[in-house]
Amino acid sequence: MLSNGRMDRNDHAAIQAVLAGDKEAYGALVVRHSQTLFRVAYRITGNEADAEDVVQEAFLRGYRKLEGFESRANFGTWIYRIAVHCALDKVKHRRGDETKVAGRVGDTTDPELDQVQVADEAAGPERMLLSGEIGELQLAALQSLTPTERTAFVLRHMEDRTTAEIGAALGIDPNAAKQAVFRAVQKMRRRLAPLRVAT
Amino acid sequence: MKHVTEEEMIAHLYGESENTAAVEKHLAGCDACAQAFAELKRDLGDVDRVEAPARDADYGERVWAAIAPSLPVYEARRRWWASGWMKGLGYAAACALLAACAFYAGRVWEQRQQPPMAHAAPKTPPAKQPIVVVVLDDHLDRSERFLVQLKHADVDPAQMATPLRDEARSLLTANRVCRKNLGQADDPELSTALDHLDRLLAEAANEPGGLNAQAITKLQDEMNADGLLFEVRVLRSRVMDKKAAIGHASKGGTI
Repeated sequence: MLSNGRMDRNDHAAIQAVLAGDKEAYGALVVRHSQTLFRVAYRITGNEADAEDVVQEAFLRGYRKLEGFESRANFGTWIYRIAVHCALDKVKHRRGDETKVAGRVGDTTDPELDQVQVADEAAGPERMLLSGEIGELQLAALQSLTPTERTAFVLRHMEDRTTAEIGAALGIDPNAAKQAVFRAVQKMRRRLAPLRVAT
Repeated sequence: MKHVTEEEMIAHLYGESENTAAVEKHLAGCDACAQAFAELKRDLGDVDRVEAPARDADYGERVWAAIAPSLPVYEARRRWWASGWMKGLGYAAACALLAACAFYAGRVWEQRQQPPMAHAAPKTPPAKQPIVVVVLDDHLDRSERFLVQLKHADVDPAQMATPLRDEARSLLTANRVCRKNLGQADDPELSTALDHLDRLLAEAANEPGGLNAQAITKLQDEMNADGLLFEVRVLRSRVMDKKAAIGHASKGGTI
């Protein structure tokens, strides 16, 4: 396993080679970072096929923007952010499609009551508990979040990213990222409350 | 300290509290907040990390194989001195240098070609020369305009270019007068050009079927083959210089 410093040097050497006309050098970057991107993409999209699409799209976008990549930056962090963007786009797009097809209201926050209106999933909490599908309930809770909240929560809770990093990845102010995490945690707790009562 | 808000607790839990020491101190002394924090910790602790399905070791290779065909090859980065604007600047400088050299060479050549001042004025200037030059200049000017008209003539196949034929007839007469006047002059270039012009004008003026589209095309071909228009322009330019020199000399100038 390569150390981070060594990997950075290798990444930068590969980028220089790509920009000098050696397209194949990008293959090394793809091989090196694919697993990480797949993991975060899967956590955000919650879907294997979508996650694979996101990984490919991220590397394609990365290649096109490679000339704008600053040599001081870390390629891993940079491509990670691109992947988060792609995953977020994917979730937003998918959510738009679902709304169009089913005419379903996914989730909206009533600003006056600050209450979350969660779409009624096919399987209720009790049924999921009875069938031992706690993981599915958690997944449903995650899916009840808005794409931005969900991404912010995944990055904070599962990827251990700071709010500054989340803000940078989502292209929003760190304070807005902090608020997104806060809202996501509130919704998740509310959504998972029946699980605690049952256990 | 006031009670810790849920937002502050969340930040504290994730290690991003703006005032960790104060929050910890409050939690240690406030049962309500400590309980709320414990519940938050438990709730979030229950939320498992979503584990992505494992990808095999060849996954990266497969991703690369999928995207590689659609990626263009980057052109090699240029050196700063080979960049677009530097190249442009180089070309501009080269052009400027070339123009300066050409100008300087022209000046030197002109000075060498000019006879010494003492020999500039002809010893016995012919009395007829100024008149001939003026007439010749007018004739060449008309001829040039005629040739330009002929070159760009676009006549309907069913029609005749009568004005063009009339001008050719008029020019033909003038051309013969000029040839006669310059008969003794030792200027083979001028004589040749006037001969060519005479032949073309005669054809244009006396075309058996009239000056129709077919005849014009034939004349255009002949004119282009001889380079007649260019020849006339060169001669005219030379005659104009001569005319200017005569005018200058007659005013008492010394060139």
